Amino acid sequence: MLRVDNLTVCYGQMQALRGVSMEVSTGEMVALIGGNGAGKTTLINTISGLVPPAAGSLSWEGRPLNGLTPDRICREGIVQVPEGRKLFPAMTVEENLIMGAYLPTVRKQSQESLRKVYDIFPRLADRRRQLAGSLSGGEQQMAALGRALMARPRLLMLDEPSLGLSPKAAAEIFATIRGLNKEGLSVLLVSQEVLETLAITAHGYVLENGVVALKGPSLELREDPKVKTSYLGL
Amino acid sequence: MDAVLIIQSLISGIMMGMVYALLGVGFSLTWGVMHVIHISHAAFGLLGAYLAYSMLQYFGVDPVVSAAASAPLLFLVACGVYQLLIRPITRAKEVIVASMILTFGLAIILENVMVLIWNADPRVLTPTYASGALIVGPFYFQYPHLVGFGLSIVGITTIYLFLKKTYTGMAVRAAWQQPEAAQLYGVNLYRISMITFALAVSTAGAGGISLALLNSFEPHSHNLWLIYLFLVVIVGGVGNVIGTVLAGLIIGVITGLSMAFLPYQWVNLVTFGLLMIFLIFRPHGLFRQGV
Ligand SMILES: Nc1ncnc2c1ncn2[C@@H]1O[C@H](COP(=O)(O)OP(=O)(O)OP(=O)(O)O)[C@@H](O)[C@H]1O
Ligand SMILES: [Mg+2]
Repeated sequence: MLRVDNLTVCYGQMQALRGVSMEVSTGEMVALIGGNGAGKTTLINTISGLVPPAAGSLSWEGRPLNGLTPDRICREGIVQVPEGRKLFPAMTVEENLIMGAYLPTVRKQSQESLRKVYDIFPRLADRRRQLAGSLSGGEQQMAALGRALMARPRLLMLDEPSLGLSPKAAAEIFATIRGLNKEGLSVLLVSQEVLETLAITAHGYVLENGVVALKGPSLELREDPKVKTSYLGL
Repeated sequence: MDAVLIIQSLISGIMMGMVYALLGVGFSLTWGVMHVIHISHAAFGLLGAYLAYSMLQYFGVDPVVSAAASAPLLFLVACGVYQLLIRPITRAKEVIVASMILTFGLAIILENVMVLIWNADPRVLTPTYASGALIVGPFYFQYPHLVGFGLSIVGITTIYLFLKKTYTGMAVRAAWQQPEAAQLYGVNLYRISMITFALAVSTAGAGGISLALLNSFEPHSHNLWLIYLFLVVIVGGVGNVIGTVLAGLIIGVITGLSMAFLPYQWVNLVTFGLLMIFLIFRPHGLFRQGV
């Protein structure tokens, strides 16, 4: 359903992505791995419409996405949990969640969505009146994921959701993501936790210096000698 | 010292401070949300005062009604100003500096337009109740002052509720705190910037009318008003509504008391001396930032 074809993205003179092609099919969970500066965030931000492509095309259910603004992309059901969470620090947890359902298309169901998010993360319900800036790292990630769910995504893109979390909190977040995928949500997961990520995804792409260096079923990537040495430290 | 005089000047200070706060809150929001320092903000407030003056003079319309009626009018004018002048410069590298220079020019233009239409004589708003006063024991409150005070409370409360309770108001706060994430969940930053700017200008109109109920005004009064805007925003913290109100009250009380007990030429010296000391110790304002 999401297709990226031969995508090139530049920041000024610097090419951050060069001819990247990839796909996420309906209901699938896809991994995107790569070292620091490989271009993972750039790819996700280009899909979200924050960064304009220099060349190549993006399509969603057969329709082109090129040139759409971020609010239009969100309206299409393509929603991201940004790197570093980017919560609204001086707003309460509940206000952050409500902002996830800002678009009129999902606003009507916001009360129902809110109940669902609180079901998934009871901790957020306890802290609904607390300012987001005062949450712990793990709670912030829950709030960021919750906010994205409020937008009723059909494709959820997560940019390093476990960054800076304790192993326990990271495991919780991964379990939640996995559960959402089992319910049919398509997921594009960017993560440095390569082993865990490849364990829960069906397919994966490895980005290196802005190009797709490897791709394939996650099981095969896990056995790939290059992945083993560069990303698994084996 | 005379207790009655102290209390009386405290109360006048509080009234004045609330009016500064209404005038300042929009200035603070455009600064915080859009990184635009809108130098002509006070000039738009003054324009509101002149509109109310003419409405009263020629049609007998009460300033409170004019404040309500000028708000949508100024909102539309401000949308035009945003599209024509502000939006192009928000792409500049140094938005703050560019916006100051541009809107400084706009303030001068507005001032000259006001001289042309209303000439340079000082004006006062004199509604029918202008000479009346509420007398409580030894205290004495002129009706226009009470009306100006009431108007500014209503104005501030409206802005506060707008920011807290409406989706658009929440989007304004979100865009200020984390613009990229706001965009990701469907906030159109251009639209929100325009609304913020226009809302600020329309509250400036109401603020100018409130201030005109307390003081006389002339076409260059906005320069002095602007200095108080900076004062209120710097003390209250940029983009912070509650901080703006508290800062307005503090500054109002300081000027109120110094007017009562100091020779006139000392009043500004005390106020701005305090500002400088304040800036040295709390460069980010009294309160943690947050709308
Ligand atoms: N806004 C920007 N302006 C200029 N260059 C940028 C910008 N954002 C990213 N880059 C550059 O583009 C390249 C790819 O960055 P990107 O953030 O996409 O990498 P990443 O794979 O997400 O890395 P990380 O794992 O550290 O998050 C890097 O070399 C980075 O320095
Ligand atoms: Mg990244």
